[in-house]
Formats: sequence, C-alpha cells, structure tokens
Amino acid sequence: MSEKIGIYVCECGPNIASKVDIEKIMQELAKLEDYKDKELVIKNHKLLCSVEGKKFLEDEINENNLTHLVCAACSPRDHDTTFINVCKKTKLNPYLYQMVNIREQCAWIIPDKEEATSKAIRMIHAGMDRVLYQQPLEEKQLDSNPDVLIIGGGIAGMEAALTLASKDRAVYLIEKTEKLGGKSAKLKELLPRQGVTLNVLHQKISDIQSNRFIKVFTNTELDSIVGFLGNFEIVIKDMNDPDNTTELLAGAVVVATGFDLMDVSSLDSYNIKNDDEVYNALEIEEMLSLNGKILMRNGKEPASVALIHCIGRQKVGYCSKVCCDYLLKIAKLIKDQSPKIEVTELYKHMCLPNKHDEEFYEQVKGKGIDFIKIKNAEITGTTINFTDIADAKKKLDVDMIIVGTAMIPTVGTAELGVELNIDQHETGFYQEAHLKINPVSTNTDGVFVIGGAHGPVGITESMLQAQAAAGKIFTQLIPGQKIIPEVKVSEILEAYCTGCQTCLDVCGYGAIYFDEDKGISIVNEAICRGCGNCVGSCPSGSIRTRHFTNPQLYQEVKEALR
Amino acid sequence: MDHSDNVLIIGSGVAGMEASLMFSKAGKKVTLVEKLSLIGGKTIKNEETFPNMDCSTCLVAPIQQEILQDGNINVLTSSLVEAVKGEAGNFKVTINKKAGYVDLVACLGCGMCYPVCPVELINEWEENLTNKKAIYVPCAGALPNVPVINAEKCLQLNGTETCNKCVEACMFGAINMTEKDEQIKVNVGAILVATGYDMLDVSTIKNLGYGKYPGVYTAMEFERLFAANGPTEGELVLRDGKKVPSSIAIVHCVGRSQTHYCSNVCCMTSSKHAHFLHHKLPEAKIYNIYSDICLPDKTYQKFYEDVKAHSSEFIYQADRDKMKISEEKGKLKVEYLDNNNKDAFIQVDMVILANALISALGSEELKEVLGIDHDKFGFVETQPFRIGSVATSKPGIFVAGCAEGPKDIQNSVIQSEAAVAQIMSLLNR
Repeated sequence: MSEKIGIYVCECGPNIASKVDIEKIMQELAKLEDYKDKELVIKNHKLLCSVEGKKFLEDEINENNLTHLVCAACSPRDHDTTFINVCKKTKLNPYLYQMVNIREQCAWIIPDKEEATSKAIRMIHAGMDRVLYQQPLEEKQLDSNPDVLIIGGGIAGMEAALTLASKDRAVYLIEKTEKLGGKSAKLKELLPRQGVTLNVLHQKISDIQSNRFIKVFTNTELDSIVGFLGNFEIVIKDMNDPDNTTELLAGAVVVATGFDLMDVSSLDSYNIKNDDEVYNALEIEEMLSLNGKILMRNGKEPASVALIHCIGRQKVGYCSKVCCDYLLKIAKLIKDQSPKIEVTELYKHMCLPNKHDEEFYEQVKGKGIDFIKIKNAEITGTTINFTDIADAKKKLDVDMIIVGTAMIPTVGTAELGVELNIDQHETGFYQEAHLKINPVSTNTDGVFVIGGAHGPVGITESMLQAQAAAGKIFTQLIPGQKIIPEVKVSEILEAYCTGCQTCLDVCGYGAIYFDEDKGISIVNEAICRGCGNCVGSCPSGSIRTRHFTNPQLYQEVKEALR
Repeated sequence: MDHSDNVLIIGSGVAGMEASLMFSKAGKKVTLVEKLSLIGGKTIKNEETFPNMDCSTCLVAPIQQEILQDGNINVLTSSLVEAVKGEAGNFKVTINKKAGYVDLVACLGCGMCYPVCPVELINEWEENLTNKKAIYVPCAGALPNVPVINAEKCLQLNGTETCNKCVEACMFGAINMTEKDEQIKVNVGAILVATGYDMLDVSTIKNLGYGKYPGVYTAMEFERLFAANGPTEGELVLRDGKKVPSSIAIVHCVGRSQTHYCSNVCCMTSSKHAHFLHHKLPEAKIYNIYSDICLPDKTYQKFYEDVKAHSSEFIYQADRDKMKISEEKGKLKVEYLDNNNKDAFIQVDMVILANALISALGSEELKEVLGIDHDKFGFVETQPFRIGSVATSKPGIFVAGCAEGPKDIQNSVIQSEAAVAQIMSLLNR
C-alpha cells in the first residue's frame, strides 16, 4: 500500500483563523505535491473537535485510506485524546497520527500574523516529517490480580483490610508484632470525646479474624517484592523463624506501618533519668489502662502536673498535629480525677485543626488549668526552666511532667521503602505521589501509604486514609478487568547494552532490572512510564522510548529549526 | 425494587472532581452538579497552592479537561439539586439547570460576544474587584470555556430593549435567547455532597474596617489580586489602581471568635501570601499578626520557617478580639495587644484579613432537600459513632471536603477517595 498522509488544519473558529493565515498555509502545503513521493490530502476545517468535525475526520481517514495523519490544531492537552479516539474508530493506528499545536504555540502568542503563519507552516512540516518515522504501536492487555497485601495491623491497616475484603478480593494482612491493634490498642479509650471505647477496636480485630477473605500473618514481615500494579509477587517471612517464608500474589500493596514516639533523651534540653516522674503519651495510656488513674511511681497522686507541648518539634521540623488535642484530653482527665491537682499546660502554639477541637479547648480551659504560652523550655527532672511569650524567664517545679513528644517514622521505614520502591519525604515519612491531588498513592503504581507511615495523624484521619487507599484500589484494580499498561515505553537494544547499569539508578519507577545471565539491563514494560530518563543516561545509546525515538525527534527538530 | 448503580456528586471542586473520575474509572455513571457556570471549585481561584507553590491551574486544569471529556460523567453547570426522593440504592433526583443561553457544544469560547455587550456588572467571582458583561465567563481560563448570560441584567432577556449584539457577534450561532431552564431527573444509588466552603463576611466584624477603608482586603480578594488571570493580571496595586503597597499586615484568625473553630488552612494561606508579597514586592515590609500558628502537615512547618526567615515578621497578639484597624494620615493603623498585654500598633498601606472558612452559601437549603443533619457550625455532620466514616445522617448520602469542615486540598481529596470506597461498597453490596 502506498503511503498517504492526511494533513488537516483546524481553524478553531476565530481562535486560529483570525491570527494565522489559513489560506496561506493551504497554499504553501499545496506546493508540496511531490513530498517525499508520498500522496498528500490537505484540508482545513472550521472546528475539528466538534461532533461534525470528528465525523469529517473519520470519513476522511476511511475514504482516503490514509496511512498517516497530521492534525494542526490546539494543544494536545485539549484534544490529543479526541483525535486518538477518532483514529481508533478507523483502521489507522493512532500512533501514526501526530498533533501540531498552531493555536497556543502560534496564534495565541505571536502578534504578527505573518510570523505566526510562517511558524505554523514550519511546525506542520515538522509534524509531517516526524509522522513518517512513527511506528504503529499496539496496546497490551494484562490480567490483573485484585488481591491486596497490607503491611501493618494497626488501626489504619485493619480499616483498609475490612473495607477491601470481599468474595472477589482476598486481603493478606501482615503484622510484625504478635497481635493486631497497633498503637491504638495501647490507649485506654479510642476516642473518649466521641464516646468511642476500645471495644470498637476489639470488635474490628474480631471482625478481621472471622472474615474468611482476610488472612492474617502475625510476627511476619515483608521479605521481598517484585512486580507492578495488578501483579506483585511477594515473599513474607516469619520473624521468629526467618527460613519460614510464604509466597503470595497480589495486585496492590497498602503500607500501614505506623509511627513511633521520639525518644526524649535524645534532646539536649531534656535531662531526665529513667525514674523521674516524666511520662510520654503512651506511658500515660499504659498507666491509665493499668490503674485507671494518673499516679506517681510511689502510687500517690501528684499534687502538681505540668503538660509540655511540642517536645522535639524543632528537631523533627514538623508539627505532629494531634498532641495539643491529646494533652488537653489528659489535662481534663487529671482535673476530673481530682480538681485539687494543679495543672499547668506549657505550649508554644495551640494547634487545633479539627472543627470540634476549639470547643473542647474552651471546655478544658474552664477546669481551672493554667495555660502558659512559652517560647522554649528546658526540663531537668521535674523542674522546668522556661521563657514565656513576654520573654520572662521562669521556673516551675512540679511532681509530674507529661510530655507531648513528636511522632516519628517507625524503625525500618527506610529499608521497607527501598524494597517497595517508594520515596521518603525529608521528614522520613513516605512521600505521596502528589501531596495535594494524589495523597495516598506513591511513586510506584499499586503501592499506597496510609496512617502514621504517611505522617503524623490521629485515629479518625488514619481510618479515612485507609478508606481512601481502598477507594483507589476499588477503582484501579477491578476484579476480572484487564490492565492496559503504557504503550510509549522504553526498550533496551540487547546488542548495544554493555551492562553498565546506569539506567537502573535514574529510573524513578524501578522499571529496569539487570539480567545477570545475559549481563544486560531489561525494562519491565508494565512498570515503565516512558519518562525517557534512561534514554538520556545510557552511555552506549542502547535505549529508546517508543514514539519518542531519536529519528522521530530528529526529523521533527530538523524541520522546525531549518 | 429498582437499584441504581449511578452516583450524584454535588459540587465540582477538587473533592467532587476526584470522586467523579474515580467512579468513571470503575465504570459508574456520574452526574456532577455544579451551581456555578465553571467547574474546579475554589482551588482555581488560587494562583499557587501551599506549600510547594504548585501552580493551581497546572494542577487542576488537566483534571477539569478530563472531567469534561469523560463519557461517564455528565457535567451539569449552573445547576442546583431541587428535590431528592427515595432511599439508598434508589434516589430519584430532580435538578434544575439554569438557562445559560449559550450552547455548550457549539460555543468555542472565542470571546467575541463580551465586548459588544452594553451591560456592565460587578464580577462576584473576582471578589467584586472588577466588572464583567451580562454575557460572561467568570475569569480567563474558565472551564468549560463557555459564557452564560445573566438573564436579569441582559437588556434583551429582561425586556428593557431589543438588543441582539452578542447573537450577531457569535459566528457559530451558539447563542439562543429562547433557551429555558431545564428540569433534569436522574436515578442514582448514592449521593456525595462536596459543596465546599465560603468565607465569613468580615464586614460583620466592625472594628477591622473592612468595607470602610479601601486598603483592607480579605484573603480571597488578595488571592485574586495576585492571580495572573485576575482583575489586575497579577499586578499588586491597591483599590485606586495606582498605589503599590510598601507595608502590609496579614491578620490571622479573623472571625475565629465568631465561628468557634480554627479554619485549619489560614496560617498556611497567610504564610503563602507573605511569600507572594515578598517575591513580588521585595522592598515591602510584611507583617503576620497571629495568636497561635497551626501547621497540621509534615510539610508545612518548613514553609512557615522559610517565610518567617525571609519574607515576613511574625507578631504575636495576645487577644485577637482586641484588634482595631483605623485610618490615619493615609495609613492604616493596626492596633493590637502585644506579648506583654500592652497596647501596640503598626502602620501599613494594606491589610489582608485571613477570614474564617464557613459552610458554603446555600448549604442550608441543600440540607433540607437532602434531609441530612448539620453540626452546630452549619457543616455536614458525619455519624459520630461510626468513626472514620464519611456517611451523613441519611443512608446513601456521603460528604467530602470542606462541606464537612475546613480542610486543605489533600485532606479534601483523602475524604473524597474515602467516600468513593464507602459508596462502592454500598453499591456493590
């Protein structure tokens, strides 16, 4: 079959037509009669993206038996998909079509009509030259596994498991300790203000244990994982018996490994011995669970308690966002236990970001608690030397200190991140795919991060994040539905690859692996997104990204720069 | 009984858009109702978003485009939900789509119709900082890029005189003055309320001088003033159109004593405004006046520290209710109680009031239509005993984003994704 290029110039109503001389373009293109011995069909249209315009284009492709198509119109951002969909209705492979942007890149930015027109003509030429070097590409369809691996059996991981598990979707929940519940299980009550007791947590644990679509592995951690969204091959291991491994297959992974509390002894301004009456939140909760009261080590009630906010905040560089509300809760609890205990709260900034927090703050303030806004504080035993907001240096001696310490990433976060190929934020927590618009996804498709592993969070937020990850999985990994990976991916030409492995370092998606037997690098096409990093890094020029090959780009650039 | 697999989403901000695209991916049909003529919500009013200073348009425009081109999503702009009958799994919804008088398919957004329109109106979308015509798009870059006609003000439509100027100017015959409001009925299995927020009217707080002194702005007014597609195309000049401010005070927590909650985002918004100002007016003196700084994300403190170090002085005020703003010799005098509980003041050219986020205008009416509970602040209440749930008091109706309470973009998106999970579980049951 002889090659026949269709070139269609869209006027976009007055958007292009009033700023670019369409007639001149048509005249110039008409002069290209013997263009590389190809047949040309050259037409303009008032509005190619309209219903009528799309039909026109479809008929043109069919009636003229076009082998290549160039649409000179707006930004591909607006209508590339529109024209690809037109191609898909015809015999023309959509990768043999090229869009040329003569609106945003000509009509709208060049005031001089003649100049705009001449640039438009040149860009159309460039598109024509390029399209001849394009190759038809076919979309692949891969089977996908809807099952999910959840790492971490705290409140976030459990919520994700309960939301996701169904007869169409198995959930594997692995937990490194011997039981489910995470940090929440250490609380006296789950959310006392809302009247939510620990029974809710216990109910969730028993719901998980009785759910036949959830398989729980305690004392277990991830050993290795390879694969991509829809097809992960996973090995987990028994932490007490590392040789005892289990292989699992899943389509997605939810990371819910939780947080730790910062170790106060690592801070210069805190000189505390083990037997000092200084407690962090988890120690207080343990104390409350044991004897239901806040008491000193000698079993007596303290006469005075100081609660200090923001411990370690400056060092970690972020606000842990739940501590203010938490310490208010403890202050109220102490006053409810015995109104005669003197309670002082030393805070820098009262951070109450949820709508019902302020009301609670007002309620606690009414309990006769002394709130002091400070600039900094030093603790030695149960003595606090602090500078208040008016720059006065003061000293406070109390029987007991309760500290709101920073939440930090849990031990092993970095190693797990490497194994899963997910990035860490500079704070050490995992990094979102996009902080704003893709907040529970990561840079690796199919791997999601929720709860304390994501950053400091409260219980309600952790559960919402768990459901958000479930929502993403429900809509990305539908049982029985095939996955269509990116077509415009990189490929490594075996003959040229020297096995230097430079490409492995620059790949942001973990899509390249090294084949020890052959001594070359290989692209996993299901993971590759076609970013082209590897192409630029390859010293032997052995990598190309489909649809963006050197000859294609060269032809386009050559004409554009002529 | 009939069961519908379709979803109604009310509100097309980041939360509504995210949920729409997710449902579409899962093969559900979505009706997306938006009361304004453009989609994108409040995010598109911002030039850049904190803390990474991502360009908002670059963030949202691809999502808007995807929504408009998605075959599973029926976008109804200029529309309100009028009635909802039935129950979870089978709601019968009546939507009123206000006539816009411009054909969404035929119109290209070429803009030929505005200059010929003889009617000048205040542009509320631009926070009243500029004018628009009776046929208008609220701002450059609005999507869908199709104007609507204000029927009450259009000379032809309100019967003042025969005016056909825009119809004549349109070369696509896209304007149809005989269009009528349309009643659309849809059946859905679940409803997501994502109606967002509005800002507290600060003219109700008398001692801050808003509305009295032209140099006093709200946070959203400043946002539009700074925006490249805004009324001054991003040129920072005061209301007289000439004066460039050389000193600016940004006041935090405005209206918090009235609302009785922290609005969650204003400390970061105010830090962002200081950052904007410092970069556009490097010589200007910038103050942030605060009582407590609230930075509820792992990424926020670093940005605040950076602003504090390079862009703005942060002044503590002991009592936000004691602030008073007046005008003296062409300067704005901002009086406050300082860290020693003593009277203090600064003099500036411009004041930006970081006012509280409140539930969106019209949510009272919508609450009645839907039959859902609100909390005492007017936000949609989720069920307190079902922690982590975004279900409202009425089965089958869910909430996401600022309709539930003030929050930043990422937490709006998280709630929206969570709502998708809860709705998918309900529909697939």
